[in-house]
Amino acid sequence: MGADMNRGKVRGHAVALAAIALVSAGCGGGDDVDLDDPQGSGGGQGGDDQGDGQSGDGGTLVAAISAQPDQFDPHKTQAYASFQVLENVYDTLVVPDAEGEFQPSLATEWTTSDDGLTWTFTLREGVTFHDGSAFDSADVVYSYNRIIDEQLANAYRFASVASVEATDPQTVTITLTEPTPALLDNIGGFKGMSIIPEGAAEATDLATTAVGTGPFTLEDAGANGVTLARYDDYWGDPALVDGVEFQYVSEPAAALTALRSGDVHWTDNVPPQDIEGLRDDEQVELGVTPSVDYWYLAMNQTKPPFDNRDFRRGVAFGIDRDEVTEAARFGAATTNQTAIPEQSRWFHEYAPFEHDPDQATQLIEQTAAQSPQPMALMVTDEYPETVQAAQVIQAQLAEVGVEIGIEQEAFATWLDRQAAGDYDAFLLGWLGNLDPFGFYHAQHVCEGTSNFQGYCNPEVDSLLQSAAGETDQDARKALYDQAAELIVDDVSYLYLYNPDVVQAWAPGIEGYEIRADKAINFETVRLPE
Amino acid sequence: MTRYALRRLAQSVAVLLGVSVLVFAIMQLVPGDPIRAALGQQADPETYQALRDRAGLDDPVPVQFVTWIGNAAVGDFGVSFRSGETVLSLILERVPATLSLAVAAIIVALLIAIPLGTLSALNPRKPVDWFASLSSQAGLSVPDFWLGIMLILVFAGTLGWLPSAGYVPLTEDPVEWARHLILPAITAGVSSGAILTRFVRSSVLESLGQDHVRTARAKGMRARDVLTWHVLRNALVPLVTVGGVQLAYLLSGVVVVEYVFAWPGLGQLAFQAVESRDYPVLQGAVLLFAVIFLLVNLVVDLAYARLDPRITYRSAR
Repeated sequence: MGADMNRGKVRGHAVALAAIALVSAGCGGGDDVDLDDPQGSGGGQGGDDQGDGQSGDGGTLVAAISAQPDQFDPHKTQAYASFQVLENVYDTLVVPDAEGEFQPSLATEWTTSDDGLTWTFTLREGVTFHDGSAFDSADVVYSYNRIIDEQLANAYRFASVASVEATDPQTVTITLTEPTPALLDNIGGFKGMSIIPEGAAEATDLATTAVGTGPFTLEDAGANGVTLARYDDYWGDPALVDGVEFQYVSEPAAALTALRSGDVHWTDNVPPQDIEGLRDDEQVELGVTPSVDYWYLAMNQTKPPFDNRDFRRGVAFGIDRDEVTEAARFGAATTNQTAIPEQSRWFHEYAPFEHDPDQATQLIEQTAAQSPQPMALMVTDEYPETVQAAQVIQAQLAEVGVEIGIEQEAFATWLDRQAAGDYDAFLLGWLGNLDPFGFYHAQHVCEGTSNFQGYCNPEVDSLLQSAAGETDQDARKALYDQAAELIVDDVSYLYLYNPDVVQAWAPGIEGYEIRADKAINFETVRLPE
Repeated sequence: MTRYALRRLAQSVAVLLGVSVLVFAIMQLVPGDPIRAALGQQADPETYQALRDRAGLDDPVPVQFVTWIGNAAVGDFGVSFRSGETVLSLILERVPATLSLAVAAIIVALLIAIPLGTLSALNPRKPVDWFASLSSQAGLSVPDFWLGIMLILVFAGTLGWLPSAGYVPLTEDPVEWARHLILPAITAGVSSGAILTRFVRSSVLESLGQDHVRTARAKGMRARDVLTWHVLRNALVPLVTVGGVQLAYLLSGVVVVEYVFAWPGLGQLAFQAVESRDYPVLQGAVLLFAVIFLLVNLVVDLAYARLDPRITYRSAR
């Protein structure tokens, strides 16, 4: 129902009514509006009663996140802030561990047919949704078909899926049109692929309520924050805290002050420039770990001279990644010339570009249309690090014959221009990928949906296509390694760095695990006495 | 007076209609596609098109406008592109926080402006006057976000007296509500206070020079009574106008203050709507702001008649 608007009938001439309605909207109710009925239509849930259950006073963990979730429908939202909450409320069939390997969650085991086209998942028994209903295969079929049939934002993850069927209540069979070794990542890589109860989208408003199977129930949500309560009938070990309260604090100084003064227990609102100062701060526990995100520069390969491989290589030789990383992330990042970070099992060490201004000048001189060659670099204030990186890149490339004009846009405009191909070059990142398919495929195959830079190398294309269907993991890695080398050599993307995840929490908090994919889960957290 | 109010109300409807046409037109001109903004970079073309169709964004603009205004007329302001919630519920949810902050901030402003402005008018070109004009200059020049962060660092950080950010509904816990309100109200109130201080000063100075004040003094009335009955009462009538405008401004959301203090007000809602090109929310919010300004102005004009019996409203033509 999310985007299903403007469908009402037109009824003219009642303008005066509008004014009256607005007047009452503006000045009438002074009461706090409770948007949510966490009970949904199901009724009968036991999450809120903090008195009953096993342990009464695990306390409430207060987490300050930097943005407000846009909505709680896991299949519709694309906002990280929403997933920070949903991570604790919903489950997927499989779930990545901290190393990015997939582990059982709502599915306990799975098998793949020899041709790689049929995947059979055995579901966990004794799982109940927060409305009390039992979880079975019909819920999985419903959830996946909802994403596919309604063409929701994550429908592309089912591109190779022919059907999802409930073989019996505890078994789900996914049939594919082509082997898809990345299937586990596609259905479990993040909570956008959560399982909701059959019919939930019709029965309740999933944008404001949640009916998951996870360790916490969504009790209350509004402009002021989100409250979760422990779900005592959770299929795993029940959470140690009684509940979690998310507050939205956009201003880092306010978030850190709240952490120091004990008003909040956890925050991810730590700008990289504050890391050094916090390392010796005894009132704050700082967590820093490399993430799976990567940031890159892309040039428009449908436009001369950026369509010239040698020109792009010249730019690649002209950039000093260490300086860029220092400026953009205050060092809280690892430079990388490929997409996949070094702690991943899919990492491939390949770094052909040493900072070499002489070679850069030479290559650019030979291929540029004019001297110096102008190049507009599109960045967005949505991600301030792109702005900072652009300033350093501007200075570096000025020395090798490229004159950068920085174009700072609002993200909505930025995305429009990217889609229209209206740019010379841009800086951006991709966040949260785990499988090499996610890191490379849609960005670098000729017709890829995310190939905005217009890159097309038939050799890379065939390598990526075979890798996408290769079921032997070692052979698959070899294919991706080859493809990655070509992508780097051709400068389809000019990879810059993998940023660190930075979070801070109160000293004495136990059991919290900071993760490379930035999933935050408070299931195992214990508050200090 | 009732006729006057009705006529003003009718005018207001015309103004609102104009405002909504204007807002609608501006949003069509601003670059940035709401569906792409909601989907982010991973916009699969089919998903993108499906969402556009569902949102009716490919209909001709006049059709979209008529649909919207028709629905709005019956109280249906549409559904947010971003969150899928109704615009009305998104707005209503934020009214209590906005109302609390605006009222508290205007009280802070008046508590600064009336004493300071009066004192400096009574002591022109004396140290008190210099102090007043200096501090109102400072109040106007200090950026909200800086003042807000400083207050947080001092009162929430170093001293630990007050919470650093957030909002607690009055209905939930009045004490915490007040504690959370103090710092944002001061931050938002200081600049309004600075504006009003200068206003009070000149207004009081003007009243002091008037004949009836001289007469009152001449007949031996106590200075305090002159001030209360003859000076302030007159001087404060125009303050209602300026104060009303300030209140309307505060009611339509103080984005920066809300941002710094994580205050869930209308300003943040409108700001997010702009960022994500969430047309329905933005339209709803702007319309509401227009209503607030019109209403406050109406109330101010009507209050004039009460405060100053010489003013009456007849059908002036």
